[in-house]
Amino acid sequence: MTEIIQVTIFGLLLGGVYALFASGLTLAFGVMRIVNLAHAVFIVAAAYVAFFAFDILGIDPLLAVIFIMPIFFIIGVGVYIALFTRIEGSARYVEMTVLLTFGIAIMIEGLLGWRFTGIFRQAAPGYLTDAFFIGDFLVPTGQFFAAMLSLVLLIGLWAFLRFTRTGYGIRATMQNRAAAQLVGVNVRRVAAISFGISAALAGASGALMSYLFPFFPFRHWQWIALLLALVVLGGMGSLKGAVVGALILGVASSLVVDRIGPGWGPMTFYAALFLILLVRPRGLFGKEVAA
Amino acid sequence: MIEDRSATGDGAPSKTAVAVAEPRRPGASRWVVVGVLLLILLLMPLARPIIGPYNYVILLMTNTLMWVTMASSWNILGGYTGYISLGHAVFLGVGGYVAAVPLYYYDVSPFLTAVVGGLAAVALGFVAGLITLRTRGPAFIISTIALLFMFLLIFENVEYLGGTAGLPLPVVPLPRDWLKAPFFYAMLLAAVGSIVLSYQVAHSKFGLGLRAIAEDETKAEVAGVPTRFYKILAFALSAFWVGFVGAMWGYSLSFVRPTLFFTVAISAQMVLMAIIGGRGTVAGPVVGAVLIMAINEFSITQFGSSEINIVIAGVLLVTVLLFFPFGIVGTLRVKGRLPAFLDWD
Repeated sequence: MTEIIQVTIFGLLLGGVYALFASGLTLAFGVMRIVNLAHAVFIVAAAYVAFFAFDILGIDPLLAVIFIMPIFFIIGVGVYIALFTRIEGSARYVEMTVLLTFGIAIMIEGLLGWRFTGIFRQAAPGYLTDAFFIGDFLVPTGQFFAAMLSLVLLIGLWAFLRFTRTGYGIRATMQNRAAAQLVGVNVRRVAAISFGISAALAGASGALMSYLFPFFPFRHWQWIALLLALVVLGGMGSLKGAVVGALILGVASSLVVDRIGPGWGPMTFYAALFLILLVRPRGLFGKEVAA
Repeated sequence: MIEDRSATGDGAPSKTAVAVAEPRRPGASRWVVVGVLLLILLLMPLARPIIGPYNYVILLMTNTLMWVTMASSWNILGGYTGYISLGHAVFLGVGGYVAAVPLYYYDVSPFLTAVVGGLAAVALGFVAGLITLRTRGPAFIISTIALLFMFLLIFENVEYLGGTAGLPLPVVPLPRDWLKAPFFYAMLLAAVGSIVLSYQVAHSKFGLGLRAIAEDETKAEVAGVPTRFYKILAFALSAFWVGFVGAMWGYSLSFVRPTLFFTVAISAQMVLMAIIGGRGTVAGPVVGAVLIMAINEFSITQFGSSEINIVIAGVLLVTVLLFFPFGIVGTLRVKGRLPAFLDWD
């Protein structure tokens, strides 16, 4: 029993981080119907920024979030204006976003591979190998910090969406784009800002990735597969769904790793995806998704 | 598909209206072009004394034919039906392993089992289609990626299949000079087979149903198209030749390894080729495959790095999507400049 509780603690810490990783992805879909296959490559790119900031300048990855998020916000807004405004209103818009972000992902992956080669990297701040005890249970310090930062950022995101004017606009657009436009929401501005926030969240995720998970450019495919699976599980475009999905899968995959073997962890995500498609294709908290 | 879209949409309805009113008869010229091309390809491996860098040329042709096969096959689902699969590499891997395992353990030649590899891919396509095609649009695309990674994981973790290291395979029992010829002919067979399949589908009632699904699935269903069955069939059919070339590819490399076969990069190439050439057309994927192979070869000799390749591929995909969404063949058709030998729709 204690072992199961211990594994669950690991799983929840991991799930908290996954929730942050997935939050930007689900926000982009919820607001703009963009299935952003490049989300994970943004994360990996940010991980490189954080890695070199730590390696060369000695900046702690958790602090690096402070400058990575604004940079990625600006990049996100730029990418949205440069590329996505062009395909607004095109036939089969969602599919178009998939292919477009697929192209962007390949492009950035190639650039990263060209600059930084395919070597595994991992930042090693002091707390990476530390751990402390709560009662009988071990809590790795690095994981704990990461989960706490995720929590803070997700609460921040929630508060922003809940209490600010722009946040109202974003939520209105998520619910009904046409109606939001009718009541005077500048949908284009909302979309650009949302994509910026989505990219900023990817930036923060990258800072965490830089020391939690060894990474190299090609790795982003594995990540996007995991993140998309949990986003579909939670219901595409639902932030609540992404968080719940991430926590469930964080715990489930930790249990699988513990019981069956480390190689099978990611299988939890894909199995969950196919299961949910069989039982409830719209996901746990999702609305019916139109093609 | 393209005609319909421009007729209902914003394109240039006048031109398509003309095209519909007086259908061009391409006549015999395109058969001459195809015949000559096929003859050259058939004689190619025999031209050893004439061709200088023989092995290089044959290998390049073999690879190009393989990609023509894969892009054409992908097009049946991704082009005609409008369901984007980013997991088609899974069929390449399944085909590769279905042929590799009997060769490794029982010494059965992949030239015999390649068809079985294709059929295994069809079976997988059918079963995967049953589940993934319950969804539309983004969720379908995501589930195809998940399918690919799921298989990568399985093949990496099963000891019998060689795990992450894969299986080493024996070399074809042939004199050194002729090692590459059988693979060339196998890939040629696959390329011709997949193009014929693509053509047959495009010109059948089934293909018409697929195009109706691409246009508007709900309306197609109301109009009596058995959408679910058609989609699953399209998925399964688009898998066959990919599985077949997978079997041949593994043997020609003399090893199979999960990370080489079950990779998004391979799916990406199929998508890229079909889209750049013009998805939903018969000739488009062929043109796209040849073009991309040429660009790849050029950039490898020029820059010597495969990363630049990837960047170019990404830039091309984004550019084509934004400015020529119908691809080369589709754009030429809309402009009325499509040469007869590329007009098979």
